[in-house]
Amino acid sequence: MEFVQNFPFLTIIMALFSGPLCSVLKSKAAKWVNTISIALILVMSVAVLLFTLQTGEAYVYQMGHFSAPWGNEIRVGVLEAFMAVFFCVVMLLCMLGGRKELAEEVEETKQNLYYVMIGLLLSSLLALIYTNDLFTAYVFVEINTISACGLIMIRQNGRAIEAATRYMIMSLLGSGLLLMGICYLYDLTGHLLMSNIKEQVAVLAETGEYHIPLLISITLMSVGLAIKSALFPFHSWVPDAYGYSTLSSSAILSSLVSKGYIFLVVKIFYRVIGFDVIRESKVINVLFVFGVMGMIFGSLSAIRESNIRRMIAWSSVAQIGYIYMGFGLGTTAGIIASLFHILSHAATKSMLFVSASGLMDVSNHDTDFFALTGSGYRNKAAGVAFTAGSLSMVGIPLFSGFISKVLFASAAYDTSGKLIPAMIALALSTLLNAIYFMKTVIRIYTPAHRANIETDSRVITVKEQPQKAVVLALFVVLNLILGLFSEPIVNMLTQGLEMFG
Amino acid sequence: MNFANLLDNYEEAVAMILFVIGFSNLLLQPNLIKKIIGMNIMDTAIYLFLALKGYIEGHKAPIVTDGVQSVDAYINPIPSGLVLTGIVVSVSVSALMLSLTIRLYRRYHTLNLDEISTQIKKEGM
Amino acid sequence: MGIWILIPVFLPVIAGVLLLLPVKQEDVGDSSKESLTRLHTVTAAVLIVSAVLALLAAWSGDNTYTWFELMEGIPIYFQVDDVSRLFVTVFSIAWVLVCFYAFTYMEHEGKERRFFGFYLIVYGVLVALCFSGNLVTMYLFYELMTLTSMPMVLHSGTRESIMAALKYLFYSMCGAYLGLFAIFFLYKYCDSITFTAGGTLNLALAQGHTGILLAAVMAALIGFGAKAGMFPLHAWLPTAHPVAPAPASAVLSGIIAKAGVLSIVRVVFYIVGADFIRSTWVQTAWMTLSLLTVFMGSMLAFREKVVKKRLAYSTVSQVSYILFGLSVLSPTGMEGALLHVVFHAFIKCALFLTAGIFIYRAGLSEVDQLEGIGKKMPKTLWCFTFASLALVGIPPASGFISKWYLAQGALEANVGVFGWAGPAVLLLSALLTAGYLLSIVTNGFFPKVKSNAHVAIAAENAASPETDAVQTQAETDPLSGVTEAPLGMLIPLAIFAALSILLGVFPNPLIQFVSKIATAVM
Repeated sequence: MEFVQNFPFLTIIMALFSGPLCSVLKSKAAKWVNTISIALILVMSVAVLLFTLQTGEAYVYQMGHFSAPWGNEIRVGVLEAFMAVFFCVVMLLCMLGGRKELAEEVEETKQNLYYVMIGLLLSSLLALIYTNDLFTAYVFVEINTISACGLIMIRQNGRAIEAATRYMIMSLLGSGLLLMGICYLYDLTGHLLMSNIKEQVAVLAETGEYHIPLLISITLMSVGLAIKSALFPFHSWVPDAYGYSTLSSSAILSSLVSKGYIFLVVKIFYRVIGFDVIRESKVINVLFVFGVMGMIFGSLSAIRESNIRRMIAWSSVAQIGYIYMGFGLGTTAGIIASLFHILSHAATKSMLFVSASGLMDVSNHDTDFFALTGSGYRNKAAGVAFTAGSLSMVGIPLFSGFISKVLFASAAYDTSGKLIPAMIALALSTLLNAIYFMKTVIRIYTPAHRANIETDSRVITVKEQPQKAVVLALFVVLNLILGLFSEPIVNMLTQGLEMFG
Repeated sequence: MNFANLLDNYEEAVAMILFVIGFSNLLLQPNLIKKIIGMNIMDTAIYLFLALKGYIEGHKAPIVTDGVQSVDAYINPIPSGLVLTGIVVSVSVSALMLSLTIRLYRRYHTLNLDEISTQIKKEGM
Repeated sequence: MGIWILIPVFLPVIAGVLLLLPVKQEDVGDSSKESLTRLHTVTAAVLIVSAVLALLAAWSGDNTYTWFELMEGIPIYFQVDDVSRLFVTVFSIAWVLVCFYAFTYMEHEGKERRFFGFYLIVYGVLVALCFSGNLVTMYLFYELMTLTSMPMVLHSGTRESIMAALKYLFYSMCGAYLGLFAIFFLYKYCDSITFTAGGTLNLALAQGHTGILLAAVMAALIGFGAKAGMFPLHAWLPTAHPVAPAPASAVLSGIIAKAGVLSIVRVVFYIVGADFIRSTWVQTAWMTLSLLTVFMGSMLAFREKVVKKRLAYSTVSQVSYILFGLSVLSPTGMEGALLHVVFHAFIKCALFLTAGIFIYRAGLSEVDQLEGIGKKMPKTLWCFTFASLALVGIPPASGFISKWYLAQGALEANVGVFGWAGPAVLLLSALLTAGYLLSIVTNGFFPKVKSNAHVAIAAENAASPETDAVQTQAETDPLSGVTEAPLGMLIPLAIFAALSILLGVFPNPLIQFVSKIATAVM
């Protein structure tokens, strides 16, 4: 066995231990421990990715002394490794981009606790990506939820705590359903390891036994994870949770936490149940309908919103809708489009949050839409990044959003009967996105004195906040990479999905 | 609908009923403490269901006594392990929820989540 | 030549971005004369160099260049053919001339740096649009054109201009998405998405999917027709033009509307193929819509009182002449359409530049205010007159030739009732055009009786104390103190006016060129 093959396990453990380590350190030391550990995990994940690309097949890593079907396993392929790399990159950028806000908004004594939460969150995300055991997945889903709740409530105002409570309540409902679904499945198949469950499910599907319990189990798990990842109509907690937490939290919550759950959905579809069984069940049609509705209603709510952070949060609801619509198409191409959209949305949404906060910095920290008038001139780096993010969301070619839209459309093409609704939904949501994002872009580039609006006169140049400018530049580059060099990435996703099941 | 099956598996039926009670309490109760109780009922129902699945009529707990190693003597140990893990998870989640509740109560002097929302809206931030 | 094609694209874009980078919020225009001269020199130099390079790239043979693969099997690909040559030449000439006009005009609007920055960027994007070699490349630059031209609409930064810009954006995005929708389908059923004269539709594959393919083509027509101002997505034109600075209106109407035409030509004649939609409901619908727009645009223009809005409605109507010429799907019709692309570009630039001069010199934006303007600025109004005559189609001015071909094309093509209804509508619209344009001319040169009476009273008063008379005149006559336009504006205007007449007098090389295009695709 190659040494590299230990890395997935080591990264999970490292992230897990960096958390408690941070809790006893001073906040400044904790900051560096956290940054270095994320960077190290990134490097290790890249090594794993290169290794899997080289061997061209997934490998199973046994945890502890019990072999399958009783023991616990990690399973690593191209897709998992790629997701780990990408999540690390986005998380690193979000942390670097939100440092200043963290220092301002969170009490000095509590800052190291924030890094505890980040460590836990990263380890649970990595575990969700790598694990091959359904119950382990559930445990890490809960760890993910708890640390995400910590991220929201670290900012000690009433609104953030209320948002955290609502987030917890919805999440708990979701995890209850998920756990119930897992128990059903365990009862039906007698296994907890994903690959073994799949064999048994295939037998069940062939004989037609226990058809209804199987269907219920799939439904419970899908709905549970859909609630947790804020699919319409379970999205009510999103705007508060993303809108009132500190900057890094909003960026990480919207771009990574929900994506971890969505990745688990893909895993359940492909590795636990088997995609053929999923396709025959009607669950994906439900996901399709809710996804499409989410796309439209999320954007409509975003148009009505005057608080910029909440507006971006509503847009997340719409984007999650895209991803579930892709699942709902019921084709491999649809899943690939959704996976690509996970990447594209993670890169874009975190950039939007970071740049919007840069714009608010030069507008008296006001989140109101009109207060942002002319802020694009006062903070140029943030203005440019926000514009780039908006263009990507609207789906202008060269940016990542366009590629995911093309992938969705061509995936919809191969389905029967879902083509027209998918196309209409894509068209409508593109237009709605264009309305609210371009409205904001125009607003931040409207000179304040022309619009007769009193605004902050503070100006932030790139030299004043070089770190933030670099982070934003990296985000833009990440977006352009996804938009311009999508071909190797899509190929990698396809290859990864093939060895995923 | 075959009610005989339902009667045969009455334990599972009870677990399901408890699950629904807990779920709807967590979802619908405005009172935070009742919500937490609902959550605990829901989780307990799942553990009941799991434990039932591992139980085999007439077998004993999987603790090797008198040197009997035959599989037929013991119940399935894995669900019990799962229940234990699940209890740990639900305890930590309950603790977190309770701490959130305390903070909200200190700030707004009520446990009713809807009232808290109205107060926050009045604060206008 | 290969990669050299990209230089005229990137040079203006990079120069424009560099111009924009130091723009500050309080930027109300470079007040110092020196920096303004520097800005003008840089803009002019970059624009002329890129225009020369673009023309060189266009006229030095059939170049192709694959830049990179956007997605598997979808390269960003450039290719120069006769259509590219025609459009890029027209665009370049008009863009350079309007730029020189704008140097003077924009003093009055301010924020020159921002305007010229975007002006350069849009030029680069337009050149790329002309050189696009496949559908996706075209779509890419079409979207970029919308985005980069939007700041020119909202230049003044007032509330109305922002709303107008959003409307422009909304209509264009709506249209572009319909176009993209069509591209998806065409991508599936075409052998390639590279532009090939005569189309690349794989008829064997399309068998049995004709219905949905026709719907897709219709979506593309309506979508790209938004830029060309075709009903039902025409409403942005009359909103966007009055608020935009005159040079921006000129290029929006004269050039960017033509980009919509270019896209339609590419989709219909270079991807789908004329034969596929001949005598289907799509052709009927297309002809109906374009004729409807021709008539509606003229009627609305006739009733409109604001000069720039009147010209905007006139654009709506005139660009649909072009679309009608394309829709009959006959070689002669297409020749007429392409001729009209050239002529209308120059004529409409001339008309908008005149409207701009009226605003710049006298602050007049309504038709009624222009009575007697010909006495004050005869040269300007003469240019306007020539351009109007050309647009109405009085021989030997240019408009006559294109309209002759359009009517000829409609009669020639086997399109049933449209064969005579088309020319009839065109004739009616030409009369309306004469009504709404020449009324400005006659009023300008020969003020009405009321105005004469006013002059007479003034003359009477002249007998009594002279100072009084001057005073009353200054109080009542809005045109007092108005003088002829400065040379910097007059020369580009005169060139446009001359072009619109001269191209009608010596049309043969151009006709030969467009007939080469038309025969290649049909």
